[in-house]
Amino acid sequence: MELIDLSADVLIIGGGLAGTNAAMGAAEKGASVLVADKGNINRSGDIGGGVDHFLAFLNEGQEWDTQNAFLDYVEMIGRGTGHLSIIESVYCAELPDAIERMARIGNPLTQADGSFYRTQSMGQPGTYWINFNGKKLKPCLGKAVRKLGCTVLDKVMMVDLLTHQDSVVGGIGFHIRSGSFYILHTKATVIATGNTNRLYENPRINPFNTWLCPFDTGDGQIMALNAGAALTNMEYMRMTLLPKGFAAPGFNALVGMGGRFLNSLGEYYMEKHHPMGNRAPRYEVVYFTLEEIRKGHGPIYIDCRHLNENDLIHLETSLGYDKDTLPDYFEQRKEDLRTKPVEITVSEGMQAGPTEVTGSGIKIDKNSAATVPGLFACGDASDHNRCVHGAITGGYKAGKSAATYAKSLTYGDGAPKSIIREEIDRFMKPLHRPSGYPYRQIEDAIRKIMAEHVGSMRTEGSLKCGLEKLQRIESYLDEMKATNFHELMRAHETRSILSVGKVMATTALFRTESRNKPYHHRLDFPGTDNTNWCGLVVFRKDGDRLSCSFEPTT
Amino acid sequence: MPPTFYMKKCTGCGLCDSICPADAIYMKEFEDTSVPYLKYPDECWHCGSCRQDCPEGAIDIRFPPDMLCI
Repeated sequence: MELIDLSADVLIIGGGLAGTNAAMGAAEKGASVLVADKGNINRSGDIGGGVDHFLAFLNEGQEWDTQNAFLDYVEMIGRGTGHLSIIESVYCAELPDAIERMARIGNPLTQADGSFYRTQSMGQPGTYWINFNGKKLKPCLGKAVRKLGCTVLDKVMMVDLLTHQDSVVGGIGFHIRSGSFYILHTKATVIATGNTNRLYENPRINPFNTWLCPFDTGDGQIMALNAGAALTNMEYMRMTLLPKGFAAPGFNALVGMGGRFLNSLGEYYMEKHHPMGNRAPRYEVVYFTLEEIRKGHGPIYIDCRHLNENDLIHLETSLGYDKDTLPDYFEQRKEDLRTKPVEITVSEGMQAGPTEVTGSGIKIDKNSAATVPGLFACGDASDHNRCVHGAITGGYKAGKSAATYAKSLTYGDGAPKSIIREEIDRFMKPLHRPSGYPYRQIEDAIRKIMAEHVGSMRTEGSLKCGLEKLQRIESYLDEMKATNFHELMRAHETRSILSVGKVMATTALFRTESRNKPYHHRLDFPGTDNTNWCGLVVFRKDGDRLSCSFEPTT
Repeated sequence: MPPTFYMKKCTGCGLCDSICPADAIYMKEFEDTSVPYLKYPDECWHCGSCRQDCPEGAIDIRFPPDMLCI
């Protein structure tokens, strides 16, 4: 096996939307940068194939279009799941530069005439969504990162962080085709690996048919946790509504343009259940949709037949921006937004934050720093960035902060070259077992346990049972067999998925109330208790000891 | 199992193999030329990146029956 040692100021793990912006932030501050991604940064991550929305206030004159009004909105739908001061620093302060940067690299957020096309949904007080054509956003970012001189390690999966005297000093990983093993020595490390999307049983059969990128498997959160970093908001099981057979995004566009949720009785049920109707916060729409299904009012549809011609044309065009193949899917399934409602259903669960504006994952401060020196986080892997807007703004912020930290260190390359061959061999073991279980067999069991015991209706009993079963399946991790480096990657992903599941069950057990139902719905504590639980559950691992604590946000 | 490759148009450049985020597309030798094939069809996320980036327009997306019928 080839061993490759590289040194730089900053390592970015994950080259999706957040990671590429982090690389730009660090490089534009003068740092030398390594970027490692399981895929190719030109097309990897949640928006590799395209995207059509970015959440922003633009100060265009309306009273809801200011920073203060935006933060009021965060407080209203976030319900204590984020610190406003951190959101102000990692998102609000970075917003004007982020919008300008996307134009500078060649994929502006504007229409051809230079204007912003804005729509409203998900509890927003005004039109916070900018609808745009982001099909070239990742290729443009990949090109910009390479042009800045960053060393890009495509198809390299990072499996662990290097630590020295309680600081993070780089990471190790392997090339998923050649098996070359990389030892990356850096002064600062930024984790940008997204959320955890193959965590729950998938209602569309195939576990890779997910809303968000199925190759985001919580690797970064678990590497950070093992290095001593705290995680927060891990108890929330995120869900959304998606076309029945294809987990393609489109909810924002459909509802933003005026789509109405319809049950099989012909009732527009959200208009009955919530004062904001179809434009209620996402968790409210999912909650009431689950209720409709439980009452026997399914199947559920989204109805766009009433939209005017201009809106329909815009919708049909922009749906392909968010998911390139969705128009093909509608055509092959013989769906037609103009003439009949489209059947939708509740998605798989995932670890992806409680709202569009408050996240879940590695705990960060106002400078995007984790709780361990030398470690930073951004995008969906961090607890105060969410979605496209959070990844672009928070990614750049994390990159800048990591570069500043790296430059402040007085010692040489920062990383002790102490990695020993036995540690590397540990990560390669699944390749060398004469026999064993394929990763998929273990992973399917994890998803089943998560869905049945750690799902949208939780109790102390179900969560304890889930944890016990997850611990039982953990004993089989060392019996996984991989026949090539691709399967080795998937086997490491399975390890991360299981660890995230355990953290989710443990933190869900700790929070003895319900918040943002159905994302954290304790049937034995159905009420929201703002006196005792308005804040973050902080999860830490100290050696073998796991601990939960509570951090208020008000 | 999208994507489908049209061998008459494909020049074997390998870009689809390089950019596929699923690591699902691989190249193989066939009659003295390099051709793409879908090694892990179940892991395709249908993101459409391969079709968008193919310089020859040699990739089509065909959804499988489970996705079209459930």
